[in-house]
Amino acid sequence: MARCIFHIDLDAFFVSAEQAAVPELKEKIVIVGGSPGHRGVVASASYEARSFGIHAGMPSSQARHLCPRAVFLQPNFPRYKEASAKFMKILASFSPEIEPLGLDEAYLNATGCEGLHGTPRDLALLIKGRIRQELDISASVGIAKCKVIAKVASDLCKPDGLLEIAPGEERDFLRPLPIKKLPGIGSKTEETLHTLGISTIGELALLPLEIVKSRFGLLGVTLLQHANGIDERRVTAQGEPKSFSLEVTFPRDTSDRHLIETTLHHLCQRVGENLRRQNKSARCIAIKLRYSNFETITRQITLKESGNATQFIFRTAAELLNKALPQRGNPFRLIGVSASLLTGQGKQLPLLDPEMERLTRLDQAIDQIRQKYGAPAIQQGIDDD
Amino acid sequence: MKLSCLQEKLSKGLGIVSRAVATRSTLPITQNILLVGEPSRLKVSATNLEIATTSWVGAKVEEEGSITIPARLLVDFVNSLPSDLIEITLPPDSHTLELKSGHFQAHINGIDAQDFPPTPEISDGITASVKATNLREGIKQVTFTAAMEESRPVLTGINTEFDKEQLTLVAADGFRLAVHKTTLSSPIKEPTTVIIPARTFNEVNRILGEQEEPVEITINQQKSQILFHLENAEIVSQLIPGSFPNYSQIIPQSYNVRAVVGINEFIQAIKASSIFARDSSGIVRLVITPGSELSQGKITVSAQAEEVGGNVSELDSLVDGEEAKIAFNVRYLSDVLSAIPQAQVAIEITNSSSPGIIRPIGTDNYVHVIMPMFVQWEN
Repeated sequence: MARCIFHIDLDAFFVSAEQAAVPELKEKIVIVGGSPGHRGVVASASYEARSFGIHAGMPSSQARHLCPRAVFLQPNFPRYKEASAKFMKILASFSPEIEPLGLDEAYLNATGCEGLHGTPRDLALLIKGRIRQELDISASVGIAKCKVIAKVASDLCKPDGLLEIAPGEERDFLRPLPIKKLPGIGSKTEETLHTLGISTIGELALLPLEIVKSRFGLLGVTLLQHANGIDERRVTAQGEPKSFSLEVTFPRDTSDRHLIETTLHHLCQRVGENLRRQNKSARCIAIKLRYSNFETITRQITLKESGNATQFIFRTAAELLNKALPQRGNPFRLIGVSASLLTGQGKQLPLLDPEMERLTRLDQAIDQIRQKYGAPAIQQGIDDD
Repeated sequence: MKLSCLQEKLSKGLGIVSRAVATRSTLPITQNILLVGEPSRLKVSATNLEIATTSWVGAKVEEEGSITIPARLLVDFVNSLPSDLIEITLPPDSHTLELKSGHFQAHINGIDAQDFPPTPEISDGITASVKATNLREGIKQVTFTAAMEESRPVLTGINTEFDKEQLTLVAADGFRLAVHKTTLSSPIKEPTTVIIPARTFNEVNRILGEQEEPVEITINQQKSQILFHLENAEIVSQLIPGSFPNYSQIIPQSYNVRAVVGINEFIQAIKASSIFARDSSGIVRLVITPGSELSQGKITVSAQAEEVGGNVSELDSLVDGEEAKIAFNVRYLSDVLSAIPQAQVAIEITNSSSPGIIRPIGTDNYVHVIMPMFVQWEN
């Protein structure tokens, strides 16, 4: 039986959630993100705002410059989480196989649902209606026989759209689209493809496998398959996390070593907490640094033993930071840390060093206090040496 | 300098010292090999400042002299020559070495031998002698346990204790510990403990080859350097300063279960499990079940990889004690098992979170301690 996959994406989610909560905002141009007075970035912009050229990730000050009339709202994450939970619940009532991608989008496997809900199109309209009714938010739905086509389709028909790509028409559908519409192609890959003279997905699809493989490795092989409308990935309910990461933009660009380090420590503490909560350890630690000119570098190291202690993550990250810092004099705009190559259970116990045990108990105590009294209740200092 | 020697001899001599050549160094001359024409032999030396190796090649020396030559060039060129006589000439006041063999000829620019770091003289000091076979076995069973990371330098070395007639080699990397004891050929005057870099021991082992004669060891008075005198080479190494952790208290003195198993079967089971373990932090689980009147004791070796699969192997075993479960890093187990020449090993367990011990059966000169991995057990 041909598969039938939906990609359902809530339109301008944060903004829509705010507008649903405060109906007066519906007439306004709304931007959710850091306030333009300080240095936040746009997290979500309404479609009206987008017509001014405003997009997620843009500094809020620039957005205000483009559209002084816009209403700026601070993000209200509990509100979004609640709306997201409702959204997923609606989807789950139509199919047992859903795969959330973040808060506001999900894949849904509708294969074999015809008997229950009519044609895929009928089902999509039903889902859109339920979301509209219960959340007061519009959603866009892409329908295709595989994930990647469904996702591209939903993206293309936004807002409040519905686009069904019939089996067999995948390649014709993708052919004229610019390559950046293909999920997995970021600005770097796009740039490289442009230098190869590739600007549409159709052109990418015709590249020989060896060239793609040598330029982009395994990622390239997947991209080439996707460009040809081939995607065998299944819709899997809640896959195990592959990594934990956090990043933060400084209130103002900084070269202050102490501030950078304490910020890094804070991020490591939170990444460690997330790892420990899920009973995971990481073997690969990476840091991300963005300079004031938006140039971004990442550095990572893979260790012999995995760990999840705050000190373990911080020491590793600080070492990466130390190596990266002297390279450039530019001040920093953003710093991030990520932990990957996760292992579940199974931790090598130390023979000579009681320190690891001590750190584990320390983290346990801190995590417990924070869970009970909130994060500000206890902070860990860092050694100045 | 003017001399001639056989290509095989020179190639062998260069092969002995070439590993001591510095790979990256702020002192460029340490990437060279020192050649010294001595009466009736050619001395070849290399050093990376941690270790200095010298070997001698039989030669017909017409004029003595010395020069240093870039190691890679010299070794590669000599190895490319047919096995024939090589004439080596360094014209007076020249730094260009000429090599000639049959129809082959080369000249290589070198650096003055005066600038080569002198090999430390270790003549007086503490001396000992050990049988080559004993030293080989000790090195093989201990050095792989030394730490690779430099975060605790003492753990990158082998704690080497000379006490009366006993030589004890100890290595530990924070997760495992290996202790090997052997006898010295003659008792040492005063008990001495030094930490020898694991790299030095590996180099000694490599050059030792099949040597039968005992190895002479000399440690200088300051206990900062050691000399290994081998049949065809001399290796001088820096010692690692500092003190080794007190390891004897780490070795458990008792156990709750002891299982004896054939080493080949054990290795095979570990190898099979490692295929799955490599996708799950290297965890391999051992369940030891005592025998009863009707059934033999056994060790169950298993590994599980999430979303991939898993495997189980059962080994017959002589089990003394109660049932036990323990998980180890598969690499640590396979490392130690492949270093033991005996046919059987005993594994001794206290509980799933205390160190386990592996001992060869038939000798009491080796103990290997491995810290387990903490895992969830179903029931």
